[in-house]
Amino acid sequence: MAKYLLGRVLRALLTLFVIVTLVFLLLRQMPVEGYFQNYEKMTEAQIASGLKQLGLDRPVGVQLIDFYSSLARGDLGVSHVYRAGVPVTEILSPKIPVSLLLGSLSLLLSLMFGLPLGMAMARKKGGVADRIGTAYIVLAEAVPAAVYYLLIQLYGTKLLGVPMLGYGNAASMILPVISLAIPNTAYYAMWLRRYMLDQSNADYVLLARAKGLSTGEVAARHLLKNAFVPLAQYIPTSFLNTVVGSIYIESLYGIPGMGGLLVDVIKRQDNTMVQAVVLLFSAVGVFGLILGDTSMALLDPRIALYKSTGRR
Amino acid sequence: MNLFKKIIAALAAAALAAVLAGCGGGEAENQVLRTLYSSELTTLNYLTAANQADQAVGANCIDTLVEYDSHGNIQPSLAMSWKTSADGLTWTFELRKGVGWYNSKGVFIDDVTANDFVAAAKYALTPKYASQSNNPLYVIKNAEKYYKGETSDFSEVGVKAINKYTLEYTLSAPVPYFLSSLTYVCYMPAYGPLLDELGERFGTSNDTLYYCGAYILSEYLPQQKQVYVKNTQNWDSASIFIERVEKTYNSEAASIAPEMVLRGELDYADISADILPDWQQNHADYLSPGREKCDYSYFFCFNFDPQFEDEYEPENWSLAVNNLNFRLSIASALDREYISAAYGSGLVRLQTTVTPAGFAVNDGEDYTNQTAFRALADGFGDTVTLRDAARAELTAAGATFPIKMMVVYRPDDTSWVGECTLLEQQLENALGKDFIDVCLVSGPTENFLSKVRRSGNYAFMRCNWGADYADPETYTDPFTEGNTYNFSYKQLGKNNATDQLVSSYLAAVEAAKSVTSDTARRYELFAKAECMLIENAVVIPYMVTPVEYRATRINVFDTAFAPCGISILRYKDLRMQESFIDAAAFERNRASWEAGA
Repeated sequence: MAKYLLGRVLRALLTLFVIVTLVFLLLRQMPVEGYFQNYEKMTEAQIASGLKQLGLDRPVGVQLIDFYSSLARGDLGVSHVYRAGVPVTEILSPKIPVSLLLGSLSLLLSLMFGLPLGMAMARKKGGVADRIGTAYIVLAEAVPAAVYYLLIQLYGTKLLGVPMLGYGNAASMILPVISLAIPNTAYYAMWLRRYMLDQSNADYVLLARAKGLSTGEVAARHLLKNAFVPLAQYIPTSFLNTVVGSIYIESLYGIPGMGGLLVDVIKRQDNTMVQAVVLLFSAVGVFGLILGDTSMALLDPRIALYKSTGRR
Repeated sequence: MNLFKKIIAALAAAALAAVLAGCGGGEAENQVLRTLYSSELTTLNYLTAANQADQAVGANCIDTLVEYDSHGNIQPSLAMSWKTSADGLTWTFELRKGVGWYNSKGVFIDDVTANDFVAAAKYALTPKYASQSNNPLYVIKNAEKYYKGETSDFSEVGVKAINKYTLEYTLSAPVPYFLSSLTYVCYMPAYGPLLDELGERFGTSNDTLYYCGAYILSEYLPQQKQVYVKNTQNWDSASIFIERVEKTYNSEAASIAPEMVLRGELDYADISADILPDWQQNHADYLSPGREKCDYSYFFCFNFDPQFEDEYEPENWSLAVNNLNFRLSIASALDREYISAAYGSGLVRLQTTVTPAGFAVNDGEDYTNQTAFRALADGFGDTVTLRDAARAELTAAGATFPIKMMVVYRPDDTSWVGECTLLEQQLENALGKDFIDVCLVSGPTENFLSKVRRSGNYAFMRCNWGADYADPETYTDPFTEGNTYNFSYKQLGKNNATDQLVSSYLAAVEAAKSVTSDTARRYELFAKAECMLIENAVVIPYMVTPVEYRATRINVFDTAFAPCGISILRYKDLRMQESFIDAAAFERNRASWEAGA
């Protein structure tokens, strides 16, 4: 197990190296204009000074070596455009917990509602719960999220008497969390319903029924337990991905998280910020997968990470 | 005063207040301004700030040597008085005593002295700090040399603290607009010891700045909020009426702010063109137009050095653009009113000069009323005659028809897209498709300027220029040698009509610049030079920045009025009104302002 994990981690680091290096090199191909806000009126001397301050006057190879040596020291550099002169870590550190909190609360909410809903729908296909659940899923999937996000903000704030904007108290998080949970709840419900219906004629379910277990007992003891195995692979990744934040929800409610940060810093050509954010998001993706695979194996002894003949 | 008289006086005051409030123009009791903002500041460092949003911090938190009043007159601010040497090169300012630096908590730090202006200028000119907005300092002797590293001794730069409260600037050449330059961010003071201590970290948060202006940025939480509070210790605190400005971040501000205004949660919102008809119909009592600005000019440029793809026939275009009748035919055919409909009905002020009306005034006479400009009222001549003459001359010169005219626009600017579509229809209808083929090309959304205008990748394009100082000279910059607008100077030495025209224009500009003490003569000469460009259709004047509608409780005519710079970004002098300003109130306010002019 340890050997397997070590191998996965090393491959993950190699993947990160390739991604970050590629992004680093691509950023150096960006046009000069994007680095300056007053390019229209800048003199050649001003442009040269600006490029020097950005470190872009040196050969790309030297810039790359500098970047990795700083990274090895834990220094991600200083933002030049997004918040000029402020260290990248100082910008990211307050943002990450905000997105994590928002994302994990909505993940929790969607699991709390999505899984019971999926079970209720699967329990009697075509029944009242199934019909209501299907209507909800169709609406959540078919209507563009931006539409119901806006409607929730517009009417939810009036209904609950909570502010349209402002971050910092529990009340201000209610609507963003609910909004974010809506599509995820539909996803979990749909997924669990399908899984349980698929498995309802499996041999182990038929055997359990033959042994005299009720439908509820079969669902709770066997179906749900098995359903959790693939979920275990998905949930760590989903949790870590909350770091990325929600572009629209965070924008709509003025939540100072990570949502939209990558797009923003790319548009502003803030190279140090782009490199740091790409590194963070890539790391989240890569290590989320490792964590998911490991959790799945721990939950289900039938899944071996290692086989006698080699890696799985 | 006996008790009876006191009661009468109190009743009279109360009655007056009630009458004023009843007029709907009364001041609000709660002088707090609540707004949204959609783009976070890049920096609070006003000495290097390059865009208006960033410069607004300096405009509100730092006072300048002089400032504009609500009618565009320069007034003393941190400088109590000033004098100029006979040759116009040395400017000496006596600073106001007792003005202090305060930190973000409002705690007094030290006095504002002449050294703080010197330290700030040195900082703005230090290449390491990479200021993108220090150009106005280049009129100071050796300032540009210091910035370029041609001298490393700052004592050679013409800014000196003669004593604690006497500041002296020495210019490399006399410029009559120097006072107006002093309202720019790069001329603002900064507490010297703080600059030495922080260096590049200066202005990275509200705690790494000291304040001497009308407001203190008491809270700054990026992507959350900015809170400005009145600096009660400011030397002119009697002119600061809004006690607190609360700005909340929301990247969707454009769509959310109007709704929040209707809910009473905000005091200001821009009303975009897409919701304007609804607001005009249903919320007219909240709606007023913005004040016309005269600091930005829009005009059409012909490119004299085409660098575009062969597909658009650059050699054919070169022949055409150097033909006077061809350019005049375009200028004559162009229906500017028709194409400006893309910006919304009634929101555009067309102009017949590149320098906007109202921008430069001498002895009450607007620069655009100069005699030289009067001939422009007659237009460019008969379109068909000009077209036929151009066709005959260009055919003889070997050009092929239709002339392909590559017009580039930014696809994310919907008004510009609409304008170009109208332009294509209108010009092709007026001149005939056999004469001209307007080729609309969607440019890149990012780095548009460098990829299109600066690289000469267009034939005909709407361009713009914002004034750097209050003098018509600023509007010659896009057309002088080395410009990245129309590249007309590249025809110099080619021994053609454009060569002669550009040479004459450059000589006329130099002649105008050499007149530094007689403003009337200076304006007259600049007008002649500008007229030369327009009459020969090297440039086609278009409009000033289109007016935008907003919902606001502020009377915009209260604040500083300036033809350029950052003075218009100030909250000082503004007062919150009890109710929102509607169109009628706006007109009343305008009339009242004009009456006070």
